[in-house]
Amino acid sequence: MTVDPNAATQNFPSPGPGHRRPHPARYLLPALVAAAVAVALGVYGKVHDPAGTAFNIAGFSSTGAVKSWLATAAILFALVQVASAAMVYGKLPGPRWSSTLHRWSGRAAFLLSVPVAVHCLYAFGYQSYESRVLWHSLLGCFFFGAFSAKMLLLRWERLPGWLLPLVGGLVFTVLAIIWLTSALWFFRTFGVTT
Amino acid sequence: MKRSGPLVTLLAGLLLGLFMLSLNATTGEKTSSSYQGESPAAKSSPTPTAVTPSPSRSPSPSATPIPDADYAGRTSDDSAAVAVTLNDGKAIAYFCDGRAKESWLKGDVEDDGTMRLTGRHGAKLNGTLKEGKRISGTVDIDGGRYAFTADKAKKPSGLYRATATVRGAKVDGGWIVLPDGRQVGVLTRDGESSPAPRIDPETGAVTVDGQQLTARPVTP
Repeated sequence: MTVDPNAATQNFPSPGPGHRRPHPARYLLPALVAAAVAVALGVYGKVHDPAGTAFNIAGFSSTGAVKSWLATAAILFALVQVASAAMVYGKLPGPRWSSTLHRWSGRAAFLLSVPVAVHCLYAFGYQSYESRVLWHSLLGCFFFGAFSAKMLLLRWERLPGWLLPLVGGLVFTVLAIIWLTSALWFFRTFGVTT
Repeated sequence: MKRSGPLVTLLAGLLLGLFMLSLNATTGEKTSSSYQGESPAAKSSPTPTAVTPSPSRSPSPSATPIPDADYAGRTSDDSAAVAVTLNDGKAIAYFCDGRAKESWLKGDVEDDGTMRLTGRHGAKLNGTLKEGKRISGTVDIDGGRYAFTADKAKKPSGLYRATATVRGAKVDGGWIVLPDGRQVGVLTRDGESSPAPRIDPETGAVTVDGQQLTARPVTP
């Protein structure tokens, strides 16, 4: 028995009768939540009278150092994110557990970034007195909005293939700029101190 | 069909954020966020944290009945300005004539409101806090004695400092913003003192040799 090479390849089973094209409105919710999160953080930072101080962690010379190291840890996890995402999408050879790695490194990066952001918003607020600070404030708020959107988008299984990589890449890029405008600046200005 | 993992992640972040915020709100006054380098007197924060007395905050073991506040005023001969910031039983003071003479002084505040602060090259400040409204006393510096009175100051008046490296020179600026809006400041470039350019008291922005710096309120 031979196989006809010209035979039509079999399609995936056609979607059941219950399946409909995803309604565009489903993207509206993550987008709205993202906007709401970003705007809420910005408004809080602007309206809240910056306290100037916050808790410190023993063993560090200053909160600036604590934040810089937490942010650096977050950025390292974010690099793992990029690599593990490439593995999940088959762009890089990776182990079976690369999706688990992606999930947990993402959680770690996010949870590390939260205390830093809380300190920023509580102690400094939204500031714009120089371009570094303006970009940092702007993107800091934007990051948590974009991250919320990414998390909410993940809840749907059928998404256009380009959407998650795009949003994920955006989240990573923004985090990288935030790190460059804060932790790197801190290390360059005050030295790599703990 | 919906995954709950991402939502859990978001919620965990939210809870962590709220937890840190409440931690800050209850214990936040104990330490300051210091963005100053190695200079001995330097502990700063972007806004005068000690503007309002905060008797309700965080009774730490070292807590004293001295309210956290800023004080700014001039010497009795009107030749220099003095500002003192109290925080958590500690004081940092700055004496500055706006031209060349300056000194940072640090020390503890006693429960009765008296303080003996010391600075480099034997500079001394003896002061007494009266009714929480003003600090009066004397500063001994470079062999001279200056009497001063510093009234309680409200943001944006107070004590500011900026340290940075501008074109290879170590720059250390100190400013006293007086309650009437006048400023007295000295900028030291690699050990050479000169009058400091004005800062914007709202943001602390100041331009030194073409470079934008940010002067931050000082806390002990």
